[in-house]
Amino acid sequence: MKRLAGLFWSLLFLAVPILGVITFAVAPAYDIWLPKDVSEHGAAVDGLFYFILWLTGVVFIATEVVLFWFIWKYDANNEKAEVKYRHGSHVLEVVWTIVPAAVLLFLAIYQMNTWADVKMRRPNMAPTVEVIGRQFEWRLRYPGRDGMLGTPDDLHLVNDLHLPVDEDILIQLKSMDVLHSFFLPNVRIKQDAVPGMKIPVWFKAREEGVFDIVCAELCGWGHYKMKGRVTFESRESYEQWLEVKYQEQEATQASNSET
Amino acid sequence: MSTADTKTTIVQDSPQKQETQVHAQPSPAGKLSTFLSTYVFSKDHKVIGLQFLFSTLLWFLIGGLLALAVRWQVAWPWSDVPVVGKLFAQQGGQMAPEFYTMLFTMHATVMIFLVIIPILAGAFGNFLIPLMIGADDMAFPTLNMLSYWFMWPAFIAFGASFFVEGGAASSGWTSYPTLATNVNSSPGAGWGQTLWLIGLTFVGVSSMLGSVNYMTTIILMRAPGMTMFRLPMTIWAMFITAVLQAFALPVLTAAGFMQLADRSLGTGFFTPEGNIVNNAIATAGGGQPLLWQHLFWFYSHPAVYIMILPAMGMVSDILTCFARKPLFGYRPMVYSVAGIAGLGFIVWGHHMFMSGMNPALGTTFMVSTMMIALPSAVKTFNWLGTIWAGRIQFTTSMLFALSFVSMFIIGGLSGIFMAATPVDIFIHDTYFIVAHFHYVLFAGTAMGVWAAIYFWFPKMFGRTMNEFWGKVHFFLTFIFLNGTFFTMHILGAVGFPRRLADAYHYETFHHLQPLNAFMTYCAIGMVASQIIFAVNFFWSMFYGPVAGRNPWNSNTLEWTAPSPPGHGNFDFQPIVHRGPYEYSVPGIESDHLMQTDPPNAAAAAAAAAAH
Amino acid sequence: MTESIVVNNVIASCCDLTSVRKVRALNLLGVMCIVAASLLATGCGQTPAASFRLNLVESSKQQLTTSQEQQVATILAALFGTPDDPRVPPECNLDIAKLKLAAGPVRSDIVGRKNGLYREHCSHCHGVTGDGMGPTAAFLNPYPRDYRPGVFKFKSTERADKPTHSDLVMVLNNGLAGSSMPSFALLSDAKIDALAEYVKYLSIRGEVELSLMRAYFELDDEDEGVLPQSREFLFEEIIDPVAERWASAEDAIIDVPEMPSDLDMAVSIAKGKELFYGNKANCVKCHGVSGLGDGQANDYDDWNKVVVQAQKTVEGGMKQAEKVSTWDMSAEERDEHQTELAWLDRFETVLDANALRPRMIRPRNLRQGVYRGGMRPLDLYYRIHAGVNGAPMPAAKGTVPPEDIWHIVNYIRSLPYDFNGTLGVDRPMVARDRM
Repeated sequence: MKRLAGLFWSLLFLAVPILGVITFAVAPAYDIWLPKDVSEHGAAVDGLFYFILWLTGVVFIATEVVLFWFIWKYDANNEKAEVKYRHGSHVLEVVWTIVPAAVLLFLAIYQMNTWADVKMRRPNMAPTVEVIGRQFEWRLRYPGRDGMLGTPDDLHLVNDLHLPVDEDILIQLKSMDVLHSFFLPNVRIKQDAVPGMKIPVWFKAREEGVFDIVCAELCGWGHYKMKGRVTFESRESYEQWLEVKYQEQEATQASNSET
Repeated sequence: MSTADTKTTIVQDSPQKQETQVHAQPSPAGKLSTFLSTYVFSKDHKVIGLQFLFSTLLWFLIGGLLALAVRWQVAWPWSDVPVVGKLFAQQGGQMAPEFYTMLFTMHATVMIFLVIIPILAGAFGNFLIPLMIGADDMAFPTLNMLSYWFMWPAFIAFGASFFVEGGAASSGWTSYPTLATNVNSSPGAGWGQTLWLIGLTFVGVSSMLGSVNYMTTIILMRAPGMTMFRLPMTIWAMFITAVLQAFALPVLTAAGFMQLADRSLGTGFFTPEGNIVNNAIATAGGGQPLLWQHLFWFYSHPAVYIMILPAMGMVSDILTCFARKPLFGYRPMVYSVAGIAGLGFIVWGHHMFMSGMNPALGTTFMVSTMMIALPSAVKTFNWLGTIWAGRIQFTTSMLFALSFVSMFIIGGLSGIFMAATPVDIFIHDTYFIVAHFHYVLFAGTAMGVWAAIYFWFPKMFGRTMNEFWGKVHFFLTFIFLNGTFFTMHILGAVGFPRRLADAYHYETFHHLQPLNAFMTYCAIGMVASQIIFAVNFFWSMFYGPVAGRNPWNSNTLEWTAPSPPGHGNFDFQPIVHRGPYEYSVPGIESDHLMQTDPPNAAAAAAAAAAH
Repeated sequence: MTESIVVNNVIASCCDLTSVRKVRALNLLGVMCIVAASLLATGCGQTPAASFRLNLVESSKQQLTTSQEQQVATILAALFGTPDDPRVPPECNLDIAKLKLAAGPVRSDIVGRKNGLYREHCSHCHGVTGDGMGPTAAFLNPYPRDYRPGVFKFKSTERADKPTHSDLVMVLNNGLAGSSMPSFALLSDAKIDALAEYVKYLSIRGEVELSLMRAYFELDDEDEGVLPQSREFLFEEIIDPVAERWASAEDAIIDVPEMPSDLDMAVSIAKGKELFYGNKANCVKCHGVSGLGDGQANDYDDWNKVVVQAQKTVEGGMKQAEKVSTWDMSAEERDEHQTELAWLDRFETVLDANALRPRMIRPRNLRQGVYRGGMRPLDLYYRIHAGVNGAPMPAAKGTVPPEDIWHIVNYIRSLPYDFNGTLGVDRPMVARDRM
């Protein structure tokens, strides 16, 4: 009976890695996993995620199984052998310091390039669109025909972002009031919008489609509803859409659909 | 190097000895003042420790209920909240979004500033430090008393803020400007936020008083023979924590005052030019919101270690005791604690990878953050080494300690994802982070605290807690906590953002509601299981089996004192002859050799051979 | 089941306590756990269902008695149902299917269709009743709209007329820039449609409530404080006028003349500027010499005005009552005086609990390029032509010829970009950059 207690508790601890791995293994089948990636740099980000997942996964399983094994094996009611009276092992300490250090350092250096691509190597171009966070909406400003922001032919929109596919996009990100965060889950982009700062955000979409814009930094009571939508489309339909929206903005008569 | 053969001893007469004797005499001023000085405004570190313990456990309950309300909204947005729905009867029992925002802000605030930090440093630090180093009391008993009573203004400020117009603070526990500095930005940014800052300042003062005291006590008041490298890990952790507090807190306090000035005096430390929130134009400008983030995290990242190191220390002591085996790698353990503390000061930027801080700086912080995983890894391996070839006794305390190790592995490993800047782009501010810090703070620290409560309960109240119900409590908590928090990882992998009152209107997250409902059921179970703990705790206090001086056959000094120890702690002067972890020494009849046991030739020989 | 027994045995066997003590401990602990659990369970109960709030400010103003208020509530419940179960007289021309989609608590039906849209998206600001007093309302600037008076600002109809359905849809789609009203464009058209219908429902309900309460004021003594119980009275006197105004909205759409296609923009802007500063349009009076909205700004909009006036009534009445001496009054007069005092007292309490602190309305800063009702030239035309209903902004209709309104529109649209006055406190150039 006493032996059973040890078995029970050690199995409880064994359940941690087993259920943990099952959770991660089953999640993608229920679509509870990384959302579809349509960006150019996303593969590198996801690749790193998987790399770290495998690495930590192996360590996780190894340490948890060792923990289980020790709990099971060295149960006071089981083990009749002498307790090993040891204060430590110099060799082991060195090994388990050096090896993780090397791995972690490798990891740090290995990912620097991706980071630089996403956040440091800004393409040399004029902003495609200005995105301004405001409680609780994404205000958009397209430069219009003259390609310059702040002129009368700017196109002003809210929440409904359209962008051309397969092209470098440069967004000028600003905030009017409080912190917001411009999060495109499907493009693997996240950047806080900070009042008083103009922050460049760039990416390139590989696929057409309609995706969510999420606010990922607490911006007040309506944070949850600060939802936008980004549409990636071909150059022609993008320009066509811009033109339609511009005509709507300049309308002097009610359109037929309205009445 | 053996710890046992260090011959240096610090012999000193405690200055508190005489004072406490005077203090112990019956007071002529009547019963009330005796009662007040004994139980309320007591300068006895044990009473203060217990005062901290009871206060923080009460707040733990409040924080837990706040968490349940948060979980309710996440699982079933806008549906009527049972039980407490009546209390804030807005539109039936439906929550308003700013109420939800307030809930998670105050959940984090209460848990961090009123539970974890004071329960570790305040409750256990106070109770254990003098006992474990063989001192009569703290170096500054009055400061010590003040450190508890400075918590009360904070309790009142945080508590009262729920009832002011607009409700309690709702800018997140991080209080990022300009949401927190501009009173027009949200309902909770009015009086609620001001009270929050005031409360925070008092918590800081309390922590500071404690930390000065702990450092002085540990350095000056150790018993004869108690060298620094004979200190139990608990004391080492408390010591390093105190150092961290002393260096990091001034920054937070200063930043808090700056934010207070921005809000009430019209300064503009954190407000940029021409800031308009809710159609109100800021009175001042020229500030920078990122400055607050730097200052805040300069404290709050070290604070993360303040919130885990003491638990690590206590778990180390509990593991050795119930594995009946010396701690594996005592010195590496000490060095890694110190390493965590040192590195802890240069990693704050990893909270700000997405904040608009220069990305090049992000790279630097990434490297230092990767490096801080190292001492944590060393500690984990040493814990595994400790139970290896031991003789494990499955007490409730040991189960909690083992689960601390098991859970800390998860919390530590998930941290690596966030340290990797490109991966952080995706998982920053998602439930992956929520999973990570709950694994460290709840599954780690809180489990460590339970281990410590079950372990030192006999010393606190002279009785042991009920083991059967303790194990039921452990089992349920363990199951439910993993059900709640492990699933958060995969939720984070979808990019499910934190702090959203209702995320299901996003196409990306629409299908996650059932999973969140599951987590909420687990969370309800987790809080409900604490009823068992509460009943066990209070019942055992009065009716538990009487414990002797040393119910666990442990080695450290506190177990040589009576249970519970009287005023002045020890009924004899403890003299320390060896380190704290001499369990199962070969050639000795008993399986443990207390620090105060007279020198023993066989033990010394065995210790020498073991190295 | 057997598994759990084994588990329990295993756990029990771990205990090192002596058996007698253990049994006692277990019993006591078990009992205490059950007590604690049942205490927790009894705390549970059904939260009250959401209900419409009576317009207490109006009923206090009209000095309705409690039983009269009860009557109003009964009539309204019979006509319009509850927030969970809306009903509507056919005269109002509302689609009950749409209302059902928007009403009720937030939930999904079997097909997964979301119901309770109003309480999901709107009620935390506009309130379940549509009184603009949701829990969040007090902290917003400007305050959320109170639908009950049936007054709407941004519409394509003449000043005093109701908005058309598509006007409401447009506001829902675009939000109101510069206020806390967000855009709901990402909701499906059907949902927007349902919400617009529900706004009309709340508005009509509110207007009927107001007319009912005002009807008490016109009662004769022989009515004994009870409204006529006839169906004719209710429908002909109360409901039909409201329904008709809503029905006629489509006919009241402003006729906008074409903007001359050969218009020289520079000339038009110059003309507009002249009108802006001139006596006829006199925009400068409120919007200020620099267009920063820094002209006359000591007025309230209609919703706040109601509260301000009520507060004045209470204050004035109280002051008056203080001066009066009750000594030289007859018993009858004293009774009347007491009733008056009680009413003032109640009115004050009602105002404290049921009205938001009055806030002045500021003329729009025209240099920011933020236009609440939309930035199309057409929208600006509507605003200038019809003014803003409920706000101090007057209609230019009748004073400025329709063609000239276009010049003002062009001038205003040029303001954020062309600055030639002195630099105001608002730093318009910065403001422009912020849009």
